[in-house]
Amino acid sequence: MIEDILAASVRIGTPLLFAALGGLLSERAGVFAVGLEGMMLAGAFAGVIATWLTSSLGLGLVASAAGGMALALVVVIATQRYGADQMVTGLAVNILALGLTSFLLRGFGARGEAPVLRVPTLAPWPIPWLADLPVLGAVLFRQPPLTYAGIVLALGVAVWLARTRAGLTLRAAGENPYAVFAGGTDPVRVRALAIVACGAIAGLGGAVLSLQQVGTFTDGMTNGRGYIALAAIIVGRWRPMAALAACVVFGAADALQLRVQGFRLPVSSYVIQMTPYLVALAVLAGVGRSARLPAAIGVPLLRERK
Amino acid sequence: MRKLAVALLAAVVAVATPSAGGSAQSGKVAMLLPGSINDQSWNAAGYAGLQKLKAQGMEVAYSENVQAADHIEAMKDYARRGFSPIIGHSGRFLSAAQRVGPEFEKTFFLVGSGSGGAKNVISIDIANEQFGYLVGVLAGRMTKTGKVGAVAGLEGLPNMIASMGGFRLGVKSVKPEAEVRVVYLQSMEDPAAAKEAAFSLIAAGADVVAGKLNAGHAGLIQAAKEKGVWATGRSLGHTAIAPERVLTNINEKWDEVYVAAVGDLKGGKITGGYHAYGYHTPAARGADLQYNEQRGFNTAVPAAVATEIEGLKKKMASGELKVKPTKDDARGGA
Repeated sequence: MIEDILAASVRIGTPLLFAALGGLLSERAGVFAVGLEGMMLAGAFAGVIATWLTSSLGLGLVASAAGGMALALVVVIATQRYGADQMVTGLAVNILALGLTSFLLRGFGARGEAPVLRVPTLAPWPIPWLADLPVLGAVLFRQPPLTYAGIVLALGVAVWLARTRAGLTLRAAGENPYAVFAGGTDPVRVRALAIVACGAIAGLGGAVLSLQQVGTFTDGMTNGRGYIALAAIIVGRWRPMAALAACVVFGAADALQLRVQGFRLPVSSYVIQMTPYLVALAVLAGVGRSARLPAAIGVPLLRERK
Repeated sequence: MRKLAVALLAAVVAVATPSAGGSAQSGKVAMLLPGSINDQSWNAAGYAGLQKLKAQGMEVAYSENVQAADHIEAMKDYARRGFSPIIGHSGRFLSAAQRVGPEFEKTFFLVGSGSGGAKNVISIDIANEQFGYLVGVLAGRMTKTGKVGAVAGLEGLPNMIASMGGFRLGVKSVKPEAEVRVVYLQSMEDPAAAKEAAFSLIAAGADVVAGKLNAGHAGLIQAAKEKGVWATGRSLGHTAIAPERVLTNINEKWDEVYVAAVGDLKGGKITGGYHAYGYHTPAARGADLQYNEQRGFNTAVPAAVATEIEGLKKKMASGELKVKPTKDDARGGA
C-alpha cells in the first residue's frame, strides 16, 4: 500500500519536476516562468511527432527539448528584446501552444482531420541490485529513464546554482542584474539563456507525459500541470531539491485522491478531486507568505537603459 | 484560457462542403463537439456520424473543442446560417440547446447523450445501461480476484449513471460478492491521469478495468497492458493498443444513431424529449460489443460467457430484461 502510493507519487511528480526545474532556472535569473504549461505541451507534441516520423525515442526526446525551446525563444524575444510584460507573455505562450499543437497535429492527418499517432513508450529500466530493495526498489529503482533523469537533473541544478561561477551569475541576474553588468557580463544574455534552458527542460517534462507515460499526443494533454509546477517552485522557495520534494507532495496528493475515492466515502468525487489543488493552495498560503522572490524578478532589462 | 485558441481552431477547422444540388431532400447539418475528432472515442464516433450524413448528400459543418462558454454562440451561429438539425455531441450541450431552442423555433437541436428536451430540442442517447450491464457481466465472469474497477468522469451525469450503474449491476448479477470500485476523474481527456487511476485500482486488486473516458481511455488501456490485467475499451483502436489485454469494446455506433435520428426527425417519428437507441431498437442499436471487425470478444473469453451475453442481448431486445441503474449504483468507490 505505502509502496504503491509512493511509486505513484514519483510517477505523477516526474512531469511536474521537469517543469519546476526549468521554471526555477528562469525565475532565479529574473524571469517569471508562466509559460511552463505551453512549453510542456510543445515538448509533448514535438516528441511524439519526431518519434512517429523517425521511430526513434532518442530523437523524440531531442525534439521535445527543442519544442520547448522554440516556445522559450518566443518568450526571449518578447520579454528580453522588447521588454514585454513577463506574465502576459507567459500566458500568451500557453494559449499559443494549445492552439498551435492542435492545429499542427491536424496537418498530419488527411483532410485536416486529427490523426492518432501511436508511438512506443520509454520502458522502465530496473537498476540491478537496487531494484530488489524492499519498498525503495519499487519506488525509486524500477522507474523509466526520464524519472532517473529528473532526479539527477535536480541534483545537478542544485549543485550548479550553488557551487559554480555560472550558477552565481544566473542568480545575480535575478537579484541584481546591474551588478552582473558591472562585472562585465550581459545580464540580458544570461536571462535569455536561462529561459531557453527552461524551455528545453520543461519540454522534456512534456515528453514524460507523451513518450514515457501514454505513447500518444492528445490536445491539451498537459491539463494544467505547468501551473502546478509553478506552485511547486514557490513552495520549494526556488531551491531545486525543495521543489523536487514539493512535486512529490503534489504527486502524493493526487495519488491519495485516487485511492481515497476507491473507498466508499459519503463525499462527492468532485470534492475529492479538488484535494491536490487544495493542498497546493494550503501549502502556498503557509509557505508562500515567507517566500522571498528573486529581487529583480519581473524587472525588464532593456539594452537602451543600460 | 482555452477559449481563444479554440475559437481560432474552430475557425480554421470548420469545413462546410456545399452539396451538389441543395435540393429539398438534402439538408444542412452542423455538429458541435466538446473534444477533438481524433480521440478514438467519443468525439471520433460523433464525427463518423456526420461523415455518414455527408455521404447521404447533406451539407455538413462542424466545430471541435467547443468550450462551455462558446456553446450558445456556436449554436446561434449555425442556426443563423440555416443549419438544421444542429447536433451538440454531448449532454453538456443540452442547456445551451434549451436556451437557443425557443429563439430559433424552425431549427431542430439534437443533443447526443442528452437527457431531456421539449419541442425542437431533442435528446438522443445510446442505451448506456444496456452496454454497461453487458460489460459488467463480462467483467464479473472474467475476474479471478473478485475485484473489478472502472475509471470514469462527470459523476452524476445521467448517461454516466447509466453506464457505471449498469456496469456495477452487471457485475453483481453474476457475482454478487464481487467488489466493484469506480474512480471518477476531473478530466475525461487526460490519458496520464487515467493511467494513474487505473494503476490505483489494479494496486487494490482489480484484475479487470473498465470505464468511460474520452481521450483519456487510451491511458487506462495502457495501464492494463503494463500490469497484465483485462480491460474493456471504447473503440477498435483500443484493441490495437493491447490486443492481448482488451476483452471487448463498447463500440458506440453514433454514426448509425445520428443517421437514424436525423431520419426519424424528418419522418416526424421523434419530437422533443428523450430517445434511447439500444438492443430494443433494431434499426439502430446504438452500440455493440466488438473486439475487432470480425469478433465480438477476445479469444480469451470462454464461449459460454459469450453465449450468455448474446442471450442477455436478446432479453434486452424483447424487453424482458430492463436495466435501471440508480445514482447509488454508479457511486464512486467500492
